[in-house]
Amino acid sequence: MIVEIGHFALVLAFALSLVLSVAPLVGARMGDARLMGLAEPAALSILALVALSFAALTVAYVQSDFSVANVWENSHSAKPMLYKITGVWGNHEGSMLLWVLILAAFAALVALFGGNLPATLRANVLAVQGMIAAAFLLFVLASSNPFERINPPPIEGQDLNPILQDIGLAIHPPLLYLGYVGFSICFSFAVAALIEGRIDAAWARWVRPWTLAAWAALTGGIAMGSYWAYYELGWGGYWFWDPVENASFLPWLSGTALLHSAIVMEKRSALKIWTVLLAILTFSLSLLGTFLVRSGVLTSVHAFATDPTRGIFILMILIAFIGGSLALFALRASSLTAGGVFHPISREGGLVLNNLFLTTAAATVLVGTLWPLIVESVSGEKISVGAPFFNMTFGPLILPLLLAVPFGPLLAWKRGDLYAASQRLFVAFGLSLAIALATFFIVDRVSVLAALGIAVAFWLVFGALTDLALKAGIGKVSPSVALRRFIGLPRSVFGTSLAHAGLGLTTLGIVAVSALEVERMAVMHPGDAMEVAGYELRFDGMFPFEGPNFTEEQGRFTYLDRSGRERGEIVSSKRFYPARQMPTTEAGIASRGFSQLYVALGDRAPDGGIVVRAWWKPQVLFIWIGCVVMMLGGAISLLDRRLRVGAPAARRARPARPFVEPAE
Amino acid sequence: MLFWIVAAALTFGACLLLLAPLARGNANAADAQAHEIEVYKDQLLEIERDMARGLISASEAELARAEIGRKIIRLSDAQQTAGSTAPSRPLARWIGAAAILSLPLVSWGLYAATGSPFYPGQPLQARLERDPSQAFVDELIARAEAHLAANPNDARGWDVLAPIYLRLGRYSEAATAFANASRLDEPTAARLAGEGEALTAAANGQVTADALARFEAALALQPDDLPSRYFVALASDQAGNGEEAGRMWQEMREGLPQGSPWHGVIAAAMDGEDAAASGDDQAAMIENMVASLAARLEANPHDVDGWQQLIRSYMVLERPQDAQSALDRGRAAMGPASPEGGHLAAYGLSLGLEVEQ
Amino acid sequence: MAMTRKQKRLAVIGGALAFLAVATTLTLFALGQKASYFYTPADVAEKGVAAGERIRLGGLVATGSIARGEGTDVSFAVTDQIETVTVSYAGILPDLFREEQGVIAEGTFDASGRFVADTVLARHDENYMPREVADSMKARGIWQDEE
Repeated sequence: MIVEIGHFALVLAFALSLVLSVAPLVGARMGDARLMGLAEPAALSILALVALSFAALTVAYVQSDFSVANVWENSHSAKPMLYKITGVWGNHEGSMLLWVLILAAFAALVALFGGNLPATLRANVLAVQGMIAAAFLLFVLASSNPFERINPPPIEGQDLNPILQDIGLAIHPPLLYLGYVGFSICFSFAVAALIEGRIDAAWARWVRPWTLAAWAALTGGIAMGSYWAYYELGWGGYWFWDPVENASFLPWLSGTALLHSAIVMEKRSALKIWTVLLAILTFSLSLLGTFLVRSGVLTSVHAFATDPTRGIFILMILIAFIGGSLALFALRASSLTAGGVFHPISREGGLVLNNLFLTTAAATVLVGTLWPLIVESVSGEKISVGAPFFNMTFGPLILPLLLAVPFGPLLAWKRGDLYAASQRLFVAFGLSLAIALATFFIVDRVSVLAALGIAVAFWLVFGALTDLALKAGIGKVSPSVALRRFIGLPRSVFGTSLAHAGLGLTTLGIVAVSALEVERMAVMHPGDAMEVAGYELRFDGMFPFEGPNFTEEQGRFTYLDRSGRERGEIVSSKRFYPARQMPTTEAGIASRGFSQLYVALGDRAPDGGIVVRAWWKPQVLFIWIGCVVMMLGGAISLLDRRLRVGAPAARRARPARPFVEPAE
Repeated sequence: MLFWIVAAALTFGACLLLLAPLARGNANAADAQAHEIEVYKDQLLEIERDMARGLISASEAELARAEIGRKIIRLSDAQQTAGSTAPSRPLARWIGAAAILSLPLVSWGLYAATGSPFYPGQPLQARLERDPSQAFVDELIARAEAHLAANPNDARGWDVLAPIYLRLGRYSEAATAFANASRLDEPTAARLAGEGEALTAAANGQVTADALARFEAALALQPDDLPSRYFVALASDQAGNGEEAGRMWQEMREGLPQGSPWHGVIAAAMDGEDAAASGDDQAAMIENMVASLAARLEANPHDVDGWQQLIRSYMVLERPQDAQSALDRGRAAMGPASPEGGHLAAYGLSLGLEVEQ
Repeated sequence: MAMTRKQKRLAVIGGALAFLAVATTLTLFALGQKASYFYTPADVAEKGVAAGERIRLGGLVATGSIARGEGTDVSFAVTDQIETVTVSYAGILPDLFREEQGVIAEGTFDASGRFVADTVLARHDENYMPREVADSMKARGIWQDEE
């Protein structure tokens, strides 16, 4: 019964989303507060119903109810409970339900905390959110219904794809979707502004927290996905420039641009039209990502079972929303008042530069990702665009941005002084250069580029710290005053610094791994040893092991340091999942500080040995630590009180003329 | 029943929630420009803070304040459209009513088309806890499999499961089960012969070298094991030694007691051998057996296993239409709604046949 | 040397356009250099591939063709049931690399006509067949969707 209630709740949520997409819109147009008032209860009810639906599906998974086709296809009674639950969104239907759940949650948040929004703006935002929800609920119900039943039920399920039976999967899609779907709010705000034909500083201030939240979640989601690929796929790589990865990276790039352009719009009332366009583009890229992942039109290492008919459905949603919003943009953008001009050397000038670089980089990634599709439809030839292309284009395009980042926060609004900023950054510059020289002469004399890359990474970190130090007045005022000022700094200043420093840490990890990684491969027999970056890796043998729903052969290794002391054990294994008749490789990883020793097993050699591939990954953990720091920066900015627009005077007795505070 | 109550309550609740704002008065909304002024006021405060912190000079602060002040004045001067919302018009009321009415119509209409409201949930645990005599063969197997997954070293369990697998046509699993029993306990003639038979069946009736080795091992333990003797002879026959096979079967037949089922088996085998194992004749013999099974089921239709065997036979003979019709007749005979009917339906589905609801 | 406001704006716009031009040139150049074409063994036989040109070779792993060599070397044949190309590879094959299953090998032909792969991709999912492989084999009527 619970399954059918879940199904019914989903259908009812669809009906409500139809109401939500029409009634408030009409209400805002007619100036009718009652119709606009429908938006909040509708948005909250949709969330409650979709949550009920999701809970029902989860119960079906937990109870192994194989009369539900989705459960039968993706679960197994012997699967550990954790993976029964994560399996709910480990498949197409369930993940789309999660998508809709998060969408509904965001709409509900606007309904709950949108009290300080003008009534028409709130009604329009919720209506646009309702349209997105209606489209995706229809998609779920019509082409990917997770509540389809089988009568009579099979006695055992087909199990979840083993590489998805991992804790990384429990976190990665929800975070990624929080990011993707979070940008839907920015999109709804942008479309609502276009519908109303007005946009102001308050608009930018309302959009910023949503952008921040979505951006932080997307950062975490991408990082988690990258770490999952790193340890689960057993190839030792953390980023493959694969279409599916690019699909998540594109909204991140344009979302980062949006984050910065919204600041300019709020502070300087400039870049209005551009910001609205970015908000539309960012969510469009999120939709494109969903489409690419779900349709399988591009060959991807991440492609799981895909279904072209579903792809066409999402493509239609994509065309409707992107086409519709861009058409509205073309029609209405001219009615938005354009902002003022400004000096190129200024904070806003720096932020424009940031936008220029980020969107160009995003465009390059987009072209590279879609190029195979374009070529195929034009000439019929099949090509692939892989890492070499992106390394050649993305790297050079993003490098100048990385170099420029520390200057940005140091420039004043309106008219900045580049020379003064450079002087202030002198210490950061010197330190970075010193570290680069030290790296080159002490650690490794191999690559000048690696040393320079490391300098760039530290430049970002020290630049971010310089900003904090200057704002607190360290060195200028007495330590106690500086400390007080430091504590009193607005949260968004800390957020900016953390995010920029996090970018530096990620850069550090990427540069270190790319340039200084050591890889060894050999056929090993028990007792054999091989040298990896100063460690001796000894193969102790293969041991059988029985897991809950798999059997595995564990290859056990001991690693010893230069002095021959045993430092620890590494277990890398080859698993076999009988329900799907599928083998997987579990990499063995040992962390030494921020570096890792990574061991993957290959096939058995004819003479009984086993192929072993081992990597030394120096400072690799910084790649993800940096992302976590960026995420933290986003979260701290989000806590900044200034991001919450105070409710206007309307609640108080309304003065005849709007209240103007004299400039003291 | 409970489902309908819950569904109705959900629909009713949603309608009620939407009704609330419609019933409320048409309050005036705060005008939008007040919000913008709020932001500017905040920016003024921030300039104060920045100046106090020494981030901007007093003259810079003065300039910034003046600029924000100008913006505020511009806003206040722009006279906003007074009394931003109009009293509720009748049209709005109609739209509100239509919106609420659409909820039950859309949801119940769509659910009626896609849902299965009369089909209760089937949690696995509850299914396994049901009275075993009510369970289907495959549920019994699932029970046995669950038992063996927990106690994989129970040779008795494998002994029970192995012949069931064999009978259901899950030959490779049967072979593994027999092998497990042999491995965990000790190889007996019955276990070895069973494994050999499963291997033979898995190879579409060809006695493979592996299978032959099992039969010979069985005969070494128990020289008069009938199945092993039969299959060893069959192996010779398949290897082209028809005469030797005939001699072995003849020998076997002489030692059989009256009324042993092996008489018929050997007679059929020797007939096949006499007819130079002509494929046509063999096929004819199978057709005969199938026809007699079909006839028996016409006379006595209440036999799930019989129907299942018939459907499988038709599929093996590559006569899917007949298999489909046997499935339909079988389900009709059992009653499509009965557990047995459902069981046949599941079996049919697993073979790729269609099941009409 | 003070610029007028208009000149400044022109300089900014000019700079942005120059940057975009550089980015576009770089992208187009990289697409020409780094994109690799997809070939089936039959395509290779028909059109020919120059030694050193980076391609993706797709097809099925031919039955009985997987041979381990010295150390970590392995060779296997990729077939589309019309032509067959032998691939040599040093490294760990993907978990789901199996005979008669779809595979994509990325690499180059060396001077002696041997295909040396540096990347071998198999599927992640047992229902998955690389799309290019499926398409080209469907076009030749060799492989059919199971549904």
